Amino acid sequence: MIPYFSKTRHQRDRHPVPPFLRGWVLPIALVLLWWLAARLHWSDSPLLVPPGKVWDTAVQQVASGELVRALAASLRRDLIGLAIGVSAGLVFGIAFGLSRLFEKMIGPTFHTLKQISLFAWIPLLSVWFGLGDAAKVAFLSLAAFFPVVLNTFEGIRSVPGELIEAARVLKFTRRQWLTKLVLPAAAPSILAGIHLALVYAWLATLGAEYLLVSGQGIGNTMIDGRELFLMDLVIFGVIVVGLVGFALNWLAARLERRLLAWRGRSVAQF
Amino acid sequence: MAHSSGTLPAAASVPARSNSGPARSAYSAFFGRWAGTWLALPFPLGLLLLWGVSAHYGWVAPQVLPSPQAVLTTFIDLAQSGELWDNLWISLLRVLAGFGVGVVGGLLLGVAMGLSPLFKDYTYPFFKAFSQVPVLGWLPLLMLLVGIDEALKIILIAKAALVPIAVNTYKGIENVPSRYVEVARVLQFSRWQLLWRVVFPAALPPVWNGVRYGFTHAWLALVVVELLASSEGLGYMIVFGRQLFQLDVVIAAVAVVGVVGYLGDQLLARIEVILLGWRRSGF
Amino acid sequence: MAQAGTLEIQHLSKSYAVKEGDLAVLEDVTLHIAPGEFVSIVGTSGCGKSTLLRLIVGLEDQYQGQVLLDGQRIVGTSLQRGIVFQEHRLFPWLTVEGNIELGLLNAPGTPAQKREAVREHIALVGLQGFEKSYPHQLSGGMAQRVAIARALVSKPDILLLDEPFGALDAMTRAYLQQELHRVWQAEGITMILVTHDVEEAVYLGDKVVVMEPRPGRVRRIVPVDLAHPRARGEADFAAVKQKVLDEFSHDSASLAEAPLKADPGAVPQLPAALWQFAI
Repeated sequence: MIPYFSKTRHQRDRHPVPPFLRGWVLPIALVLLWWLAARLHWSDSPLLVPPGKVWDTAVQQVASGELVRALAASLRRDLIGLAIGVSAGLVFGIAFGLSRLFEKMIGPTFHTLKQISLFAWIPLLSVWFGLGDAAKVAFLSLAAFFPVVLNTFEGIRSVPGELIEAARVLKFTRRQWLTKLVLPAAAPSILAGIHLALVYAWLATLGAEYLLVSGQGIGNTMIDGRELFLMDLVIFGVIVVGLVGFALNWLAARLERRLLAWRGRSVAQF
Repeated sequence: MAHSSGTLPAAASVPARSNSGPARSAYSAFFGRWAGTWLALPFPLGLLLLWGVSAHYGWVAPQVLPSPQAVLTTFIDLAQSGELWDNLWISLLRVLAGFGVGVVGGLLLGVAMGLSPLFKDYTYPFFKAFSQVPVLGWLPLLMLLVGIDEALKIILIAKAALVPIAVNTYKGIENVPSRYVEVARVLQFSRWQLLWRVVFPAALPPVWNGVRYGFTHAWLALVVVELLASSEGLGYMIVFGRQLFQLDVVIAAVAVVGVVGYLGDQLLARIEVILLGWRRSGF
Repeated sequence: MAQAGTLEIQHLSKSYAVKEGDLAVLEDVTLHIAPGEFVSIVGTSGCGKSTLLRLIVGLEDQYQGQVLLDGQRIVGTSLQRGIVFQEHRLFPWLTVEGNIELGLLNAPGTPAQKREAVREHIALVGLQGFEKSYPHQLSGGMAQRVAIARALVSKPDILLLDEPFGALDAMTRAYLQQELHRVWQAEGITMILVTHDVEEAVYLGDKVVVMEPRPGRVRRIVPVDLAHPRARGEADFAAVKQKVLDEFSHDSASLAEAPLKADPGAVPQLPAALWQFAI
């Protein structure tokens, strides 16, 4: 009898650390190591800031309102870019999906442009739109645009043939066709596209702040921290960025679950 | 035949309600088999024309929009002088190194998390938190820690590739259908046999998907990091050209970036067909 | 000729722990199966027939009672007890040949002997010419035949079949029943078939074990004393079939299908946790 086939959850749970604690072991151990390293001065580098300092900086940033200002600036741009990118993306995606002609004429150009790695657009955009917020928003719109178009197009194209036939038999008008069949059927893909747009737009927000340095934002905070060798500020920035990323992901997942409850099982996005 | 370039064509080309989705439109029928190629041309050619005309009449300054001819000449110059190839080569080496590290790391991590629930309990939460920070979020931190040469780039590219690969590998292994595992149990498979003959082949589709995603992200990370902190490579060419307002150089480099990204993904897609040829009707 | 095994099932009982207490899936099942016999087991959903099979093959454990193969208590799975599931469960990344070879992976023998055995069994199920085909290229009936070959190639003492033809259309089913019968006569090994199709049970079996649900018990064993080959249209065939069906029409409420809710008698999904390596 091969042992591993019969190992039960019961046997595995006899492991000393209970399940809900296991996930904490690694991070806590790392923080402890960090704290120890700082305490015992394992390195003379000014970069070795103790965890406590990061906490102090965090408190200071929040209290002075710096954090709120920086985040607000970043998120404002993020949301404007998203709004533009997602709406344009939906329009194009639906157009591609519904019109074979449109897809054949504009499609190849679109697919070619989409190949260009996102950030390569920034220098061009900075020439055409200047170095300020306009260029950043333009870039964010682009970042959100591509995934929405692709997923919307995909969603509309994959409306199952059986449902289309059912709609024919039921004599749907053009409007009903769109609102009662195509859009609901494409909704999962469209929402997946918007989820991706959220992720990419946040990534792009940061990138835009690094590359088009003027103005305020959480990315700028981190760049400043780096230039002044303020490790604590940088680490603080990393944590904030991670939290915002997590929040956006969570929001998108919630939205998907809500709107797609008819699907039975929610698609758990990582 | 309309040379429409972005307006939603009139009702005629929306598939009539009395046809099912994939109906051949009147236009396809008219042009026959080459409909696809014929139709694809007017829009980009129109744009090209617009570009050329605007450059010719100087509607926009040449520093903002160089003429198509200028871009072409510059491209040829760069290619002939070898500058293009040198920078391309450096970028390729970087991305391969980073991607390689990311693939190995991602596969190892994903396999470990997939096969050992205990390992997963310990590492997955931290890993998930870690990956909430997009690649760029780590950039300033890493710059402080390792400076701005190769190490920075390789680490960032590796991280960009590692996350999707690890996740997809982990989920792929976790989702191996238990009906195959039961067959293996009845046929007395040993642990290794189960791994190599059931788990890995069954998990390969999602794993390869992760690899493709990983490459896209790796290429993305490469471009960013070269734009920000490099003295050679395609990204550097772009930045340098931009600073000197030599947009023709910029456009040429951007085009190459696009082509390489595309070819890389195509290569992975071809490999996918070879590795997963058995999958024709899905799983 | 393969080994034919004697199977003794003595007072077999199994229950699952559920929220409301213990759900008895099988209660005091006793069966004696002679070597080379073909036994059909019929019953509606929820009578535990699949669970019974899974206990015999060793995919389930924790039961009361005994299951003895040739006098030896069975422990876990073994190449001596083969099984064909309702889904063919062929590995999609292997060819027909590759899939059948799996049956011999852990069996003794030289590679040449194994190749020969694979060839033999491909011929046995009538799939010559399809050695290099992939499962997605085969029809449902062909895929099941490969599954049967895979189960038989290691010459087990006993072959278990869990509603093997349930997913196929009626014509293919009839054809495969014939084929299974031919294979049984050629190989002579003990076979136990679980099905909800009474005609199939009577066509193939030396005896039909009728089970009733909630909890799963043996209601009656109907012997089938008809000579082979059996003609489905003949009167004596119909008589036996009617005898079996009668078992279902008495007390129809107690034999009827359980209302729709989670059915523990159905094939349980093996959670990944059970086969992942515990380190």
